[in-house]
Amino acid sequence: MRKVIYLFLILLFISCSKNNREFKNEIIYWSSNNTEEIEFARYIVDKWNKENSEFKVKFQPVPEGQSSEEVILAAIVGKTTPDIYSNMWEGDVENYAKAGILVALDTLKGFMEFLYERCDSSVIEEVRSSDGHIYQIPWKINPIMMIYNENIIKSLSQKSPPKTYSEFFKAAEEFKKDTDGDGYIDRWFGYTETIVTWWQRLFDFYPLYLAATNGGSLVKNNKAAFNNQAAINVFKFLQKLYKNNYFPKERLSSRQDVFLDGIIATRFTGPWEISHAEKYKPKSFQYNFSTMPVPDNHNGPVYTYGDPKNIVIFKTCPNPNFAWKFLKYFLSEENDLKFLEMTNQLPRRKNIDSNPLFREFFLKNPKMKIFAEQAKFVKGTDQSLYLKEVFDIISSEYEACVIYGIKSPEQAISDAEKSVNLLFLR
Amino acid sequence: MKKKFVPYLFVAPYIIHFLLFVGFPVGFSIYLTFHDWNIISPMEFIGLANYERLFNDTLFWKSLKNTLIFLLIHIPLQIIVALFLAELLTQKIKLKNFFRASYFMPVVVSGVVITILWQQLYGFESGLLNRLLTYIGIKKIGWLTDPNWAMPSIAIMATWKNVGLYIVLFLVGLQTIPQQYYEAAELEGATHLQKFFKITLPMINPTIFMVVILSTIGGFSLFIEPYVMTGGGPLNSTLSAVLYIYKQGFFYYHMGYAATLGFFFAFIILLVVFIQKKFVEREY
Repeated sequence: MRKVIYLFLILLFISCSKNNREFKNEIIYWSSNNTEEIEFARYIVDKWNKENSEFKVKFQPVPEGQSSEEVILAAIVGKTTPDIYSNMWEGDVENYAKAGILVALDTLKGFMEFLYERCDSSVIEEVRSSDGHIYQIPWKINPIMMIYNENIIKSLSQKSPPKTYSEFFKAAEEFKKDTDGDGYIDRWFGYTETIVTWWQRLFDFYPLYLAATNGGSLVKNNKAAFNNQAAINVFKFLQKLYKNNYFPKERLSSRQDVFLDGIIATRFTGPWEISHAEKYKPKSFQYNFSTMPVPDNHNGPVYTYGDPKNIVIFKTCPNPNFAWKFLKYFLSEENDLKFLEMTNQLPRRKNIDSNPLFREFFLKNPKMKIFAEQAKFVKGTDQSLYLKEVFDIISSEYEACVIYGIKSPEQAISDAEKSVNLLFLR
Repeated sequence: MKKKFVPYLFVAPYIIHFLLFVGFPVGFSIYLTFHDWNIISPMEFIGLANYERLFNDTLFWKSLKNTLIFLLIHIPLQIIVALFLAELLTQKIKLKNFFRASYFMPVVVSGVVITILWQQLYGFESGLLNRLLTYIGIKKIGWLTDPNWAMPSIAIMATWKNVGLYIVLFLVGLQTIPQQYYEAAELEGATHLQKFFKITLPMINPTIFMVVILSTIGGFSLFIEPYVMTGGGPLNSTLSAVLYIYKQGFFYYHMGYAATLGFFFAFIILLVVFIQKKFVEREY
């Protein structure tokens, strides 16, 4: 009996001891856990493992949790991070880089050449950390654009999707309606989430701000950089949408799809909406995409938020060179095309809309072509340690000013600037 | 010597469990209050800076005020409704057991499920409550979108969810009152109200006190309802103290500050319960 107890204790001790990699020639890769990406990751990993014998890749979707970010944090604390993770939100990387848990990819042989071949220099500067190193590979984007109900838009006097704030107001005024005559508007031109959760602003305020500023920054040199006329105009625009009942204050997310039901005519969204709409749209429902609304005097291209997810290598990786070798294969043009075909998400590579390899796909999927064309004019996030707090502060002011109108846009933006600057004094 | 060791052996599992799962976390939390830590970076000793920040943090004080507003609505409502229903359930009525089970049902259903259900009821356009109001000619209410209504709406929902538990407590309390008191009062010609105020209420004083304490502690931990229904809005009107602590800890990963808020908040709960104890004991 005593021997059994000793054996049990030894086994317990071993199992609790530091995680030793079973095989040295193995790379562990975590992908996002949505079905299409899992299928893509499995396809790539299987292909790699068949074609290469030098080392093998073991694939696993990021374990389920409230958010993948939470899971990654738990893995970092428990020192059970994968070698490669491919669903890192660009805004998170600065924190992880500062904590010293990511491999500085620009120290790997051939990395910068690869990156310049894949991305424009503006993208490279966007992902460059404040210490000058690069810790992430730009992988995919989902540009935020305005989806609109073609039948509704054709029925309005403008006949085309509104491009500017004035056009948006005009169309909204024409469309809003009290359909049941109870004195309350119940058909609105658009909808955005009113809750203050910071990331909701990535789908309304932020793309509108990027559109109005040609891809401007929220923070620069550890200071708020958004107290400008463009941001004030965005707040004014949004405030009027709520004040005039063009957008509802009520949360409609728990209802059936209000866009496909014709209760709203537009929404700010990404390319993921295509497969959803194709699956659930009623007969004769037609929709299309347009750029984010801009101020009336706007010049130049219309930028938007790209919702970028990038790839990182964790420092716990026993062989970063193996990981880098796999990533070069993973990010080849052919595999990017496969990714596009399997997931309907855009790889973040330059000239995707004119690359002959992708032409056939876009001919078959003209709505995705719109996003590919928009891809030239997207921005990710500023590299800042306090980015979430910045968005949270803006979101609080957004609520007070835009939704409830208890602050003027000038005051709200100015208050947000002061609060953000206080963050950087810490 | 061997005999002296044996009792310690028996209490050892509890002591070990306590040290591991209570002692260590509490000690570590105290340690955290003097540090800045975002989980992934090394801890940085910052002395009393977290405490200093707490006293200047207007949002924390607002969250505390919101929690107190919730308690001021929730506790009296809870006691009145639970006592009223418990009184009804002691009467000779048909389907008594069915009603008792029905009132208790929400207590055992998941808080998130109930919250989502009530979110539908509270909808401004399509919610059942506003449809009923417009049907009888009353203006719609922004149950969850009007900053003045949001916290009372949550308090009403929380009362509905928990009332079954307090009905059971009151039922037990009511059954302990000797029947002779009521018989004597009836002989003296006392009315129902007189019997209630002169006999029932004083006799169930300990139960009321227990309900107040339980509701206070339960109310202070208000989290699921605002987290799911409103996210703390509109205009931070439903941002409860626990939700704020959670946000600091698990949205921004300010672990040191969240621990500081937690400790301060625990101190406030103790203080309030202590005051309540004195107040309730003195009143009856």
